[in-house]
Amino acid sequence: MQTTHPGVGSEPISMRFPRIFPRPKSDYGIWSWISTVDHKRIGTLYAVTSFLWFLVGGIEALIMRLQLSQADNTLVDPELFNQLFTMHGTTMVFLVVMPLSAAFFNWLVPLQIGARDVAFPRLNALSYWIFLFGSLFLNFSWFVGDAPNGGWFGYAPNSHLAFNPTHGMTYWVIGLNILGIASIAAGLNFIVTILNMRAPGMTLTKMPVFTWMTFVTSVLIVLALPVLTVALIQLQVDRLYGTHFYNTAAGGDPVLWQHVFWLFGHPEVYILILPAMGIVSEILPVFSRKPLFGYTFLVFAGVAIGFMGWFVWSHHMFTVGLGPAANSAFAISTMAIAIPTGVKIFNWIGTMWGGSVRFSTAMLFAISFIAMFTIGGLSGVMHASVPTDAQQQDTYFVVAHFHYVLFGGAIMAIFGGIYFWWPKATGYMLSEGWGKANWLLMLIGFNLQFAPQHWLGLDGMPRRVFTYAENMGWENTNMYASAGGFLMAFGVLLFLINVFYSARKRVPAGDDPWDGRTLEWSIASPPPHYNFEKIPNVEHRDDWWFTKHPELIAEYYHDEHEGELRAPSGAQFDDDVEDEHHDEHTSDHHGDDDHGHGIHLPDMSYYPFILALGLTIVGAGLMTIIPVIIIGVVILLWGLIGWSMEPVNDPVPEGASHGH
Amino acid sequence: MASASATYEIKSEHGEVINTSTGLSNKKLLMWAFLGSDVMFFGSFIATFLVYRNRSLVGPYPADILDIPITSVSTFVLLMSSLAMVLALSYVQEGRKKLGTLWIFAVVVLGAIFLLFQVYEFNHFAKVGLTPRTNLFGTTFFILTGLHGAHVTLGVLWLMFLGFGSIKGTLRADNAIDLELAGLYWHFVDIVWIVIFTVIYLISARDVAPPGSVPWVPGAH
Amino acid sequence: MSNFLNKILYHDGRGWWDLPRTQWQEPNPKMEGPLGDGIAPIKRIWEITTAANLHHGTPAFYVLIGAILSIITIVEVWAFAWLFLGDLLVPLMLVLSLGKFVLVVGFFMHLKFDRKYYAWIFTACMVIGIGIFVALLLLLNYGGQVQQ
Repeated sequence: MQTTHPGVGSEPISMRFPRIFPRPKSDYGIWSWISTVDHKRIGTLYAVTSFLWFLVGGIEALIMRLQLSQADNTLVDPELFNQLFTMHGTTMVFLVVMPLSAAFFNWLVPLQIGARDVAFPRLNALSYWIFLFGSLFLNFSWFVGDAPNGGWFGYAPNSHLAFNPTHGMTYWVIGLNILGIASIAAGLNFIVTILNMRAPGMTLTKMPVFTWMTFVTSVLIVLALPVLTVALIQLQVDRLYGTHFYNTAAGGDPVLWQHVFWLFGHPEVYILILPAMGIVSEILPVFSRKPLFGYTFLVFAGVAIGFMGWFVWSHHMFTVGLGPAANSAFAISTMAIAIPTGVKIFNWIGTMWGGSVRFSTAMLFAISFIAMFTIGGLSGVMHASVPTDAQQQDTYFVVAHFHYVLFGGAIMAIFGGIYFWWPKATGYMLSEGWGKANWLLMLIGFNLQFAPQHWLGLDGMPRRVFTYAENMGWENTNMYASAGGFLMAFGVLLFLINVFYSARKRVPAGDDPWDGRTLEWSIASPPPHYNFEKIPNVEHRDDWWFTKHPELIAEYYHDEHEGELRAPSGAQFDDDVEDEHHDEHTSDHHGDDDHGHGIHLPDMSYYPFILALGLTIVGAGLMTIIPVIIIGVVILLWGLIGWSMEPVNDPVPEGASHGH
Repeated sequence: MASASATYEIKSEHGEVINTSTGLSNKKLLMWAFLGSDVMFFGSFIATFLVYRNRSLVGPYPADILDIPITSVSTFVLLMSSLAMVLALSYVQEGRKKLGTLWIFAVVVLGAIFLLFQVYEFNHFAKVGLTPRTNLFGTTFFILTGLHGAHVTLGVLWLMFLGFGSIKGTLRADNAIDLELAGLYWHFVDIVWIVIFTVIYLISARDVAPPGSVPWVPGAH
Repeated sequence: MSNFLNKILYHDGRGWWDLPRTQWQEPNPKMEGPLGDGIAPIKRIWEITTAANLHHGTPAFYVLIGAILSIITIVEVWAFAWLFLGDLLVPLMLVLSLGKFVLVVGFFMHLKFDRKYYAWIFTACMVIGIGIFVALLLLLNYGGQVQQ
């Protein structure tokens, strides 16, 4: 048997593949951003891009609110209105909340688990570039005047060629498929990162809650997005090649699309909200100066939501006529999922209870998350009741409900997260004064816009209708709602002002401005490339807090300590025997660590960018002509082969320091 | 928070350094998670096929057209390619370069034969009168088996790449993990075919025209 | 009688069929079942073939699995073509292909030999997938909606 080559280890073997561009090395300039594999830079890219899409989606919403502010308004025609609400929904779900969460995943997960980067940095870059190109592809449809117009759930056969002959839904189908690839790649990456890259001692039960929620979200992404991909492929081949998946004339089942879409769509709802729950679970303990109340319960509630979220999808289809047995089953499962959600809400309240609460902007956003999310959750439980739902289906009540969960919930938490981690990411503070004004305007505007929509919905105003008659008595309420919308937009404007104002003021934040609890606060702000000079050794949950306050350990951990002592990190799922196996090898290599000196980070690479470009060109080619597909495939293969032959690190020349 | 004096560094039995909290290789964990994701992908298509079983309005129906003996042979070929794959991995891990290369290319050849069977089958069906546009059976059948074929094609290309690597000496015992990943992917494609063979061929092959639709007459379309 | 049963079924509180889950766990108690030490050589062969170096089987073992897979395929086709099982066809085919599935996943994909994590991940995905797709089929085929 041939033994392993000494000195080679797991180093990838460099094969020669002709490089068209030299491998980038510089830390500055646009090229360094295009070829970056640093999780922090990719997180920033995600944040900036998706915030721009947030503004776009917001403008779409404002146009709709303008149209609806008066009865029989003619500002936009019905076709444009269809495109507006479709693209507003699609943008906010796929281009804003998911990638904004991804920005937080990228920035925080490696910092919170004490890692120097994610498990697959180049794959991470690939996710971002695919997301960027996919989002541009989707919005390109505006410029050809054919934006998608079938609703964010694109119900077939309404979105089928027979009823929707323009190109809009084809853009939607291909664009979302491209975005789906980005999400799945990112999900896989974070699953591996969280399982495998934790610092020594950080068992799963010592992970910060945000990391836990990222893990659950990633699992949901990885399992749910393929289902959407399948539905989209089916619709795509129907539209492009004349197959019959959703062709009712050939016997296609119109309910099948609804099932497959909501099979994806309901886990998707939790993909949107779980990261927000994670963010809030980080903010509340810091500003209450108390550990999170009921950590284990909170985590298991998150996992339970992630699991039960698979078995509730038909509550979106109560009015389809699935039959009493199916409707009852899904009504029960939907009501049951409110239990873990309620557990979380009580945990958050319990965290604040008895703490010395500081009302910083981040904390205010987090508290309003709890309040708004609870309102949205309660109206959600109302939908779980089949007869009630029959009354509310497709009215503004539903619109109010999901905006309370997604704007009042997800976006509020994300803004809180931005205020909370901004000092860590940039090294300076956001202004608290502007921040509180921002928070107040957003909260008031939001409630002014969406609370009246409950009444509108119960009064029977249907959603997705471009106008309403004068005698319906909905003018005043709609006027308030529109005013609220603009107030909210003004709030977002204040945020932008705050960003520019604070960037000029540059009040230095220091490493740990909030007296934080988790590992990201133990390093410099902004963090250096390599994050941790020495990989920390984690002994407690909220390890950094207890490092600062060792006297509190006994107070908070007296009863849990026995359970915490099982040593080898991350090994609690393994068989005992394998733990020994583990230990043995650990002790063999005791003292081999040289991370303090020669920190090896992956080199930059432009192949992710090329691969993503090729993929998007293939998508564009599917809509146009075959030569475009061929060009796309060639670029794709260039990226793929170049990537697989490129070593993670180029060999360092003798004597040169591998530097930062 | 004391700084760690040691990272845990575990070497797998093939010399690969596994330096992770779980002691699992990053790449292999990624591959397994990806396969879990692919389960949902094929699961959705197979579920669609089963939903539309016996719902075609016009022929040809499965009983008119599916040819079990030929597909059994191609199924056997794919199973044997899986066997070749596991042998290739075993030899590459032991550092036996020639045997490893031989078996990798055996997988490539068997996979290509499977694809040829599929091309023949698709052509034959098209001649007889079943295309993706004919009826629901045609739509679900072609898209499901076609996407499986696309997976096989990808696997063949991947293994060719690795096979040439093995000839050049860049695929060795110490990075056999690369071949192991391709192997996992290949076996997964094989088990998907096991399910497809059962669901489309063995279970549905006797389906005739459902009540209310027209029986199929060859050549009448 | 009870002594006899005891002798057949237990050895220090463990059933004699209680094979170790992994090779490197403690060895089985010495065979004192109905065959006494009679099956020890078979077990030894099994251990040699499956776990030659703890992480994967020997080529001979893989060929054996391949042969079993081929035989199951032949049985499937034979049962399909000549048995005319009627309602039994579907369950029989499902069971047989489940067998093939398990063999490939367990031995060719090394889940049997590998760390349990991988098996956990794959099983969890399979459980969720099978769960929701069976529910979907039930809803679409036996729900209250009017079929065309």
